[in-house]
Amino acid sequence: MTRFLIAIALALTASFAHATLKVFACEPEWDALARELGGDQVEVYAATTAQQDPHRVQARPSLIAQLRQADLLVCTGADLEAGWLPVLLRQARNPAVQPGQPGHFLAADQVTLLEVPTSIDRAEGDVHPQGNPHIQVDPRRIAAVAAALGRRLAEIDSAGAAVYAARTDGFLKRWQDATTQWERRAASLRGKRFVVQHAQWVYLFDWLDVQTAGAIEPKPGLPPAAGHLAALRQQLAARRADGIVRSPLSDPKAAEWLATETGLPVIELPQTVGATADAGSLFALFDAILGRLSGGRR
Amino acid sequence: MSMDLSIVGPAFVTGLVVLATHVPLGQRVLERGIVFLDLAIAQLAATGAVAVHLLDIEAWWAVQLGALAAALLGAFALYGCERRWPRFQEALIGATFVVSASLVMLLLAGSPHGGEHLQDVLAGQILWVTWEQIAFAAAVSAGVLILWRALQGRLGGALFYALFAVAVTLSVQLVGVYLVFASLILPALVALRRGLAVGYLSGALGYGLGLAASAVLDVPAGPSVVCALALASAALGVRLRA
Repeated sequence: MTRFLIAIALALTASFAHATLKVFACEPEWDALARELGGDQVEVYAATTAQQDPHRVQARPSLIAQLRQADLLVCTGADLEAGWLPVLLRQARNPAVQPGQPGHFLAADQVTLLEVPTSIDRAEGDVHPQGNPHIQVDPRRIAAVAAALGRRLAEIDSAGAAVYAARTDGFLKRWQDATTQWERRAASLRGKRFVVQHAQWVYLFDWLDVQTAGAIEPKPGLPPAAGHLAALRQQLAARRADGIVRSPLSDPKAAEWLATETGLPVIELPQTVGATADAGSLFALFDAILGRLSGGRR
Repeated sequence: MSMDLSIVGPAFVTGLVVLATHVPLGQRVLERGIVFLDLAIAQLAATGAVAVHLLDIEAWWAVQLGALAAALLGAFALYGCERRWPRFQEALIGATFVVSASLVMLLLAGSPHGGEHLQDVLAGQILWVTWEQIAFAAAVSAGVLILWRALQGRLGGALFYALFAVAVTLSVQLVGVYLVFASLILPALVALRRGLAVGYLSGALGYGLGLAASAVLDVPAGPSVVCALALASAALGVRLRA
């Protein structure tokens, strides 16, 4: 009997030591990153797919159930998920992942944000007072988030700390090599000008030293004004751009219209992991972005 | 995925609170032949809420007040129209909807990320509702039902339009426009044929089945309940004659 109890106790301890850390990732890029750093020590649930707009999420029961069980929440922050994450956190009532806890990890808090409004001016944009949240298209910022996320995983799951540290180091080395390659490949893009659909490529353009030649829809969720489109067309006639950049999520009509008007190519760029067929991993995401941007592929 | 009552429970109670006012109101809507009144009122409420946002006021109660004021104003205007030009009421309601929706877009044109403010009011999501919101909604709904019972004979149409504006402004923020329309019209159709009790039953059945399907199949709760309400109403509304 005693031997049996000891066997059970040992089995329990063993399974406890190997218990996987449950990660709730708000977006596909953090899902991919958590898997890179956690390997089989983590079990990741992705709240959104690359085909969904992370600003808007339909309430499904599994979102609440998964967040309730999670040990760690990994989201972008900077108000990207302001429309649904606060209510979801309230419904899940999981103390481990509430704001301020180690189980609440926001990627935007780990990097410098661009487009931070200098004054609280409603006309300039009060909705993202912390800055532009679309940080995942800059590999330098991905590296900063990865380093911080690796430390956070080790902090929460100290039993696996050594594995997280090793995997994070390995990932950062491979990522640094890939980044050097990408930068070499992208040297020819420097100084080029692209029209964007929304202001979601700010970090990519900042990294590549590429210019924005204007935005088709300066206010997401609202159709552009006729005067704005006319002015944009005029600007492009005066000074040519190198293409129109849109993500597969956005409505193609506006970009197609501008392409017909100006003769510029429309370049579809994956905005996150899985957004296009050739962007299956974090590495493939940037391969795909650079390939499409320098090829000018339609 | 199994059923977790702590997740779908509050949503089900929310559904019952919404049905309490919407089934009797829906019967009047059907009798008057103005089925799209709720869309016009909800859109006006959204316009009011957005206008308050644009005035730089963020307080929760002020936004609610703005939404309610716009909804009531529109309701009284539409009541006036119904008395003057009853023949054109349906057309005027439709026009109110599109003009109000376009007005919001014009209002928001100066505000970046304006689309998100609009979503706040029109796209309530039933799974996000908290017990505090349910308690508030239940209290307002009880008030609406009591006034409806007490004053119906004396005030008639004007009271109907006013109470309708209050009920819809409240419910659209909890469950969104699609569910408000479905809760208003589908069980009321059953109620007109087979009495209020069967109407309520079909509504409760729709919410119950829709939320169960949402939990088991892990699909968005709102659309799932709308479809289940249609099925339940069809099943209970068609009485086979022996």
